[in-house]
Amino acid sequence: MLSESFIAATLSSAKTPTATLRDVGICVHEFQPSPQIRSTFKKSSTSPNCLAVTPSHIFTAQADKAVVHVYSREKGNQEALIPFPERIRSIAVAGTKYGDVLVLGTEGGRLILWETCTGRQVATTASHLQPVTSLVVDPTSNFILSGSADASVHVWSIPGILSFSKPAQTQDRQPPNSPIRTFSNHRAAITSLAVGHSNGRNNIAVSTAKDNTAVVWDYHTGRVLRTYLLPASATSVTLDPVDRAGYVGYEDGSVQSIEFYRSNSMQHALHDASLQSTPAQVSAEDRWLPPSAESGAVHALSLSYDGATLFSAHESGKVLSWTVARRKFATTVADYTHPVTNVIVLQPNGITTSSQELNRTTHTIVKPRHDGALSDPAHAPGAVPAAYSFHTHLLASSRPQSRQPSQFTSALTHASFPDSMIEEGLAELAAFRQSGTEGPRVVMTTPAVSDTMVDAGQDDRVAELEAEIDLLKKKAAVNDKSRHISAEEVVQLRSDLAQLQDYINQLHEKQEAAQQDKVQRQARKEARETKRREAWFAAEKKGRNGDAVMKKMEIDDGMLTSDSDDQSDE
Amino acid sequence: MSTTTLRAVTHRLTTTPVEQLPAIASFLATSLSDCAELLSAPQAAKSGKSESDNTVQIHKLKTRLASLLQDRSIEGRWTAVVLVKATVEAGQWEILRGYEPIVRSLIGILAKPDPISTRKMCMITLTRIFHLTYQYPTLVREITTPHLPGFITAALNLVSVLVKLPTGSTRKPKPNTPFMETVLQVCLELVPRHPTIFRPFASQLRSLLTEILGSSSVYYPDSVMDIAEQLFASLHKCAPKDKAGAGWTEDCRSTVLSIHRAADYIFRAVKEQWESVDGSLVFTRQKYSDELADAGPDALGLPGWNGIHAGTDRIITLLRILSNFVAMPSASAVALPLGSILDITSRLTSVTAPSTEGTQSAIQANPQIGRDEREMLWSELPRIHVTCMDLLARVASVLETSTIPITQNMLEQITWVFRNEKASRNVRVASYELLRDLITLNGPAMAKQNVASLVNVLRACCHDLLPVSSDSNSQSKSQADSKSKTKNGQGTTNADSFLNPDLQKNRKAQASSQFPELENAASALLQAVLLSTPAELLPASIRTEIDRTIILVSDKDAMLASVLNPVPAIKGRAAGASILPFLVRSHADQMEVEALVRPRMPVLMTAPELDAYVEAEEQEEADEMVDDSYDAAPETADFLKAPVPAPTATKLETADQPSVHKRTYIEESTIQTPSLTTPSTQETAQKKARFGESSSSEAPRASAFVSHPAQPATQTPAAPVLPVAEDDSDGELPTVNMDSDTDSEDDEDVTMEG
Repeated sequence: MLSESFIAATLSSAKTPTATLRDVGICVHEFQPSPQIRSTFKKSSTSPNCLAVTPSHIFTAQADKAVVHVYSREKGNQEALIPFPERIRSIAVAGTKYGDVLVLGTEGGRLILWETCTGRQVATTASHLQPVTSLVVDPTSNFILSGSADASVHVWSIPGILSFSKPAQTQDRQPPNSPIRTFSNHRAAITSLAVGHSNGRNNIAVSTAKDNTAVVWDYHTGRVLRTYLLPASATSVTLDPVDRAGYVGYEDGSVQSIEFYRSNSMQHALHDASLQSTPAQVSAEDRWLPPSAESGAVHALSLSYDGATLFSAHESGKVLSWTVARRKFATTVADYTHPVTNVIVLQPNGITTSSQELNRTTHTIVKPRHDGALSDPAHAPGAVPAAYSFHTHLLASSRPQSRQPSQFTSALTHASFPDSMIEEGLAELAAFRQSGTEGPRVVMTTPAVSDTMVDAGQDDRVAELEAEIDLLKKKAAVNDKSRHISAEEVVQLRSDLAQLQDYINQLHEKQEAAQQDKVQRQARKEARETKRREAWFAAEKKGRNGDAVMKKMEIDDGMLTSDSDDQSDE
Repeated sequence: MSTTTLRAVTHRLTTTPVEQLPAIASFLATSLSDCAELLSAPQAAKSGKSESDNTVQIHKLKTRLASLLQDRSIEGRWTAVVLVKATVEAGQWEILRGYEPIVRSLIGILAKPDPISTRKMCMITLTRIFHLTYQYPTLVREITTPHLPGFITAALNLVSVLVKLPTGSTRKPKPNTPFMETVLQVCLELVPRHPTIFRPFASQLRSLLTEILGSSSVYYPDSVMDIAEQLFASLHKCAPKDKAGAGWTEDCRSTVLSIHRAADYIFRAVKEQWESVDGSLVFTRQKYSDELADAGPDALGLPGWNGIHAGTDRIITLLRILSNFVAMPSASAVALPLGSILDITSRLTSVTAPSTEGTQSAIQANPQIGRDEREMLWSELPRIHVTCMDLLARVASVLETSTIPITQNMLEQITWVFRNEKASRNVRVASYELLRDLITLNGPAMAKQNVASLVNVLRACCHDLLPVSSDSNSQSKSQADSKSKTKNGQGTTNADSFLNPDLQKNRKAQASSQFPELENAASALLQAVLLSTPAELLPASIRTEIDRTIILVSDKDAMLASVLNPVPAIKGRAAGASILPFLVRSHADQMEVEALVRPRMPVLMTAPELDAYVEAEEQEEADEMVDDSYDAAPETADFLKAPVPAPTATKLETADQPSVHKRTYIEESTIQTPSLTTPSTQETAQKKARFGESSSSEAPRASAFVSHPAQPATQTPAAPVLPVAEDDSDGELPTVNMDSDTDSEDDEDVTMEG
């Protein structure tokens, strides 16, 4: 059945929750169709941006401890406790649907990338001057955006950090594993980051900072697309599934939507260059107010799958839901007593999209290895070390067989047998019957079968071969016959051809005769004409009317030509 | 209806002489599958006269089939096999329940000298039966457990001879048996489902498979080899559950070692530059004076081989086994040895044939080996490299984004092979396919050097795609050039091409369409490059060439990708023109093109409140438009203008909805300003279609989530787009608009209009 749930993580506080929620740090909470807690995980206390979820595991970075807890969603228990050299202030997963890489932002301003299926761990340069407090990974799983209290956002390339073999260094002498781009438009500590849902080059990122701004920018170029002046400092931001709007949460517990499509311009509002330089004011009155003042600051925001319901995690321990369409508070979904610091809405169960199907699953993660087996082999820099192996459980054949299914597989699931197979069988039965009637060999061999399998097989084969020979003989006979027939046909055709040739010759002769006839007639006509003219001149000389003579002659001619020249008139 | 069909089937089955049954078998089978409902109906539910009649008929059918299976004539048995399959498919559990004797006689048929097709179909039917019992423990107990071992033995006996050895029994394949493929398919199908039953046969199967895979004297068709490789890779499933993972790892490791061993022999004609990352590998010593051959069984237990062609075949078989290990479902969690796989492909791809272009590759010859052997090696290399790339493609498709740490190594291997062996068509197809996979994974973050290294491949890609007729001009020009240069070179040119210039064109056009595989791979690669790599990193010349190629072959998807990722404007240079016009000219009827050219993303959220503030200024425009050009709207407009009484909740709701209509409406009309004169009926039709669309998309949602009183808000966003539904649900949600802050806004709007 279709159901949708979210995961919320809390920060432990002095308050004591009800018995059912004692020790509970993470809740998997179903909100549709019926709101209830589905499962809980214990002994976790997390700050904002410190919860990461993959299809198989939940990772939480512990507040005030340099430890990450790993919980198995499959088994429902805590699987591991991974110590790190520094405190982890934010985590995120990369690797799209599988989430094989965990990205950790440390207190010291560096990132640690941990491949949870191989145990490899790579650290970057400490490019941030302050702790890394927010992390997001783009939908292609190629870039990481990290926000820090030092007011800058760094963009990192995951292939650049993780690749064993690096392309030759360019002229700019960047140390390895450093950010590829830095966004420094903010004037105060970054509080939250969100990234758009596009796989393309025009994807956007939204960052909020304590300087009361939210900036929409293009992380592929670092260009600012839009600056929004907020009424207060935002603590959390999230984006609509279609990137039509962003939602920010404030310290007083209210949330607000920032719509990117406000104007009527045909151009995409964010890419309208004329608007990019002017910051837009977001009015304080438009805020969506919480039901009561004591709900406390918003720590995290997350949208439902359809983008119509917004969930906010509050300091007071409540998770509130807001109706996006009505722009106001809907219900209090849960109350965990402890401050809720993270909320992540999960993919709903029951919607089957082929792109989301998993071909493999991870039962247990591989803890980071520090033994140096995964470092570069000395003699071949850039080569993949021999100990590098990927721990997973392969579930389905990953690549559908490109060639068409074999006869066997199509027959296996057919309602009876495919026609081709039935026809083949019928043909074979007919052949079998024929050889059976000609000689009783097959019947003879049947009792012999019981002796040994091998003999039977051979006899069987002999019978088959004989049948085949018969068949071939018959075919040869048929071939012979058909050849005779075709030879006769050829002879026939040849004689026809000769006849036709003769006929053509005859026609040619006729044509020539006709031609000659025509020439002669022409000559005669000309002669007559000259005679007539002469007669006319003669008549005129004599003083008589030439025309009369002409007419007379014409009449004579007409009588003459009408019977002889009627063909040549055309 | 189906009752009479069933009666007719049983009647014909009992009255028709057995010799004539095969002719109607196909028809009877189809009729039986039409009675599926009846055959699969549970017995207990059958009551009443007609039902008991059905039971009698089914019983009759079953007994007749059982007796036919035991019939003396081959026709009877043949028909019985076909019909048993049909009943099993139609009846599933209900039919299978009493089929134990039938299964026994089916297995009996395998030992009889029946026609090949009877026995093949018999095996398929049995496989299907064991396949279906898998889910039901009772059926497994009744049918599978007692009979599957017998079936496996009978099937294996058809294709092989059991050899008893003191260490255990092995199997030798029979030569030229027509059943090999079917028997291996049967095992492949059943091993994952009944691994425990197969466990005693695992060693027999393994010995049979090593004979098949390692044979160089007996020829097996590709289909048999393919299935044998797959079956070999899934044999580890027969091991006990806790040892399956270890078995997988061990088999995988042995395969890699065997490849290294074979490569040691094959590559002895050259001095390899490659150095393994695995220190534990031992190089196989050999005598260079001997003929190229491997005598003994290798790590996998495959027998020896003789000659370079057989050696290459062995490497290819082993690589394909390895890719099956990577791609086939495993019994438990396993550790894919990426390091070893990359190591072996790096070794195999580092040796390439010296390219013809004169650039002598850095490969040094081993002076102790003759030139003949080396040249034979060059000709065998492309086959090995294609298989290597297939293996890497399998790895990439399993790991998806987790391939990122090793994509760079893969890229280097491909570009190296491609540079030297692009003359081979198979190498080109394999490289295009693998590159496509890799670029989709890490294209967005590619560095400039990486993109630059692809240029050669992309050029070859364009060349493979281009219809040859278009460059026949250039060809004839070059011909003319060569003629002018060498006047006496006439004898070498093709005289026919002068007599009939069309000849060449036709021939080439035909030739290019002969390799759809190549074209598909090339087109997919171009698409991936356009879509994923940063457009600014692609050199302008190659981008132009790609655009030209895809326009000429009018490749819709690639053109779409090109339009979506235009060349960014560089300072001091005019922005490149988009190829959008070409796309629209050639594919205007396609949905994607329509979506691109005339976008209609619902910019606004699904509720009227949300666009309340933009409504004020648009309303006037809307009214004008509506009055001028549309006849369909006046009632709503009038309704709006009519004075609105005190705004109760429901009234407000209805007042708002028409304005929503118009908003969406106006969007359309402003986009299509030139077409304003089109008949209004068309416009209304569009409008309706749009509502139909939205309602159909919203409806399943509303029904999918069971609504509950505590959360009435979940349904409301759907309602406003769906005015009809809203009217219906008004009764359920009376207090919907009672809040003060939004009310005041709406109020203003309405008064302004009024």
